Amino acid sequence: MNSSIENTCPGPKKSWNRALLQGLPIFMWMLLLILVPLAIMFVTSFFVKEGVQVVHRLTLRNYLEFFTNPIYLPIFFRTIFLALSVSLTALLLAYPLAFFISRKVTRFRSQLYMMVIVPLWISYLVRIVAWRTILGRVGVLNSLLLALGLIREPLPFLIYSPFAVYLTLIHIALPFVFISVFSSLEKIPSNLLDATSDLGANSFQTFRHVILPLSMPGVVSGFTLAFVIALGDYIIPQQLGGLNGLMFGNLIVSQFGYAFNWPLGAALGFIMFAVAVAILFFSQKLGSSEGFLE
Amino acid sequence: MEETPAIKLSGITKWYGSVQAVCSVNLDIRQGEFFSLLGPSGCGKTTTLRVIAGLESPTAGRVYLEGEDVTDVPPYRRNVNTVFQDYALFPHMTVEENIYFPLRMRKISRVEARPMIQEALALVNMSGFEKRYPHQLSGGQRQRIALARALVNRPKALLLDEPLGALDFKLRVAMQKVLKDIQRNVRITFVYVTHDQTEAITMSDRICVMKDGLIHQVGTSEEIYNSPSSIFVAGFIGDMNFMEGVVTERHGDEVVVDVNGFIIRSGRPMGNFVVGEKVMVCVRPEKICAQDVCNLEDMQRFDNRFQAVITRIVFRGNDYEITVGLGEASMRLIESASDFKGENEGDSLYVGFLKEDVLLYPLQAEEEKTHEQLD
Repeated sequence: MNSSIENTCPGPKKSWNRALLQGLPIFMWMLLLILVPLAIMFVTSFFVKEGVQVVHRLTLRNYLEFFTNPIYLPIFFRTIFLALSVSLTALLLAYPLAFFISRKVTRFRSQLYMMVIVPLWISYLVRIVAWRTILGRVGVLNSLLLALGLIREPLPFLIYSPFAVYLTLIHIALPFVFISVFSSLEKIPSNLLDATSDLGANSFQTFRHVILPLSMPGVVSGFTLAFVIALGDYIIPQQLGGLNGLMFGNLIVSQFGYAFNWPLGAALGFIMFAVAVAILFFSQKLGSSEGFLE
Repeated sequence: MEETPAIKLSGITKWYGSVQAVCSVNLDIRQGEFFSLLGPSGCGKTTTLRVIAGLESPTAGRVYLEGEDVTDVPPYRRNVNTVFQDYALFPHMTVEENIYFPLRMRKISRVEARPMIQEALALVNMSGFEKRYPHQLSGGQRQRIALARALVNRPKALLLDEPLGALDFKLRVAMQKVLKDIQRNVRITFVYVTHDQTEAITMSDRICVMKDGLIHQVGTSEEIYNSPSSIFVAGFIGDMNFMEGVVTERHGDEVVVDVNGFIIRSGRPMGNFVVGEKVMVCVRPEKICAQDVCNLEDMQRFDNRFQAVITRIVFRGNDYEITVGLGEASMRLIESASDFKGENEGDSLYVGFLKEDVLLYPLQAEEEKTHEQLD
């Protein structure tokens, strides 16, 4: 009699080829729509424009231009600074709102959520035009302040200034930050909050030791999203920024659009791309909490 | 003078909107006892526990911890700790940090806390797991860490909300023993919420049986098993045969009931019955003795003796459950595997039981419903 139970199951199927086949469409998609254009841009950034001709000779001249021409570096750093301020402010505004709606409100929660999200339904360009009418010299805000007698003359810094760009970018980025913070707060099980309270933590301690750390993934992804949106934008500076509100994105656009210097534009674009990738990389490390809230 | 109860609930009532979860509950839980709140889901046992913890404030009534009114004290200032049903370990903290959390809230330094954490881990037999994260632990291990975290502050009482509900059978039995051992070691009052009557009976010093927000009975396991105060308790705790009948005679404590033409004598009527009243007759299956040959001398001692036909035999591993028909009613009895004489369905059997083992309950419309639900 056979007393032991033998494992006669067939072994795992070697499905290497099948996995490869299944991954092929997504790989092709990535290749054609992301990697190939990036590679083309990267190679172009080493070409140079001489006269009206693009010379297909590899050189570092475009990158040298970025570091030596006094136009680029100040605007580059100003852009990074502005993008950081925008994403930080958006985060500071969105976090309390998301916290309030996700954890404190019991009625009309989804309606409140929708109200924050609703600007996303309106075209980006329309919203920019709206801000022009609000912030303009004879715009809504100035007219109101004048009518109330609070100011004698229209406030000059409201439009065509870095301030206008800052304000509008926050408006654009806010819903994205809100969504990611909200969803990470929403995921925190309420029994953890019962537990903190039971174990002797007041609401502030609960927030500091449990809610904030567990919402970090949402904070980081919201911050990154806002940063990338603000970093690359060129329409808002063009429409509302004036001369002082010029951003790095505008410089890139002008190389492609007006100067027809594609190699230099590609180089500048790649520098910005590198910054965005670096920020993404660091923030992913910071906000990683794999396996925590599954 | 009686000692102050560890926990005293006085007239606790809790409404959620228009739903009443708990209805004027009065309870005295003694120092150091293992006290279970037992009942089906939705009976208000968890709400009662949360009221003790301070996680819910009662609509009416007062909560006392060691004689002190804590009704308006927030949970983080009450010296009781809870083990939650799904453990509620902090996922972003290691085992050590989880157990340090309650100490940290009391401003105890990490250095001072280390031996306390070690002691708590040793208590639940989890030393060496300090650096693990909760998601790296199995269900039973998480359970132990939750226990260590709740005990590290040496609370006046430990509240456990169905702590073993998510574990499989073998592990649950092992953890029951662990819990009981820990309770003996630390001598802290345990308030244990469960819907598992076996768990409650085997572990508790005293049990409170609840249903629909009301307390049905409070007593030791034996008291509740042997003298259930209502049909609900009789059916919820252990196994029970239910038969409807009509009272035909009454002599002092002995009541005679007619069940479909079978006369059953009861020595323990749970109420004042009059002749002609409808009653529920209850007998525990293990109190019924069966013989396949009528041995008069042996059966003589039983007040109730019948010849009945076997309608069903179920083998259950260590015993057989045999169902016999009594007219339209039926009765289940247990025969241990070693006593089983190889009867077949359709055979006739002599059954007998003492009148002391027959309980009678008044039959009311509402309780009839309860009985049906239990079946």
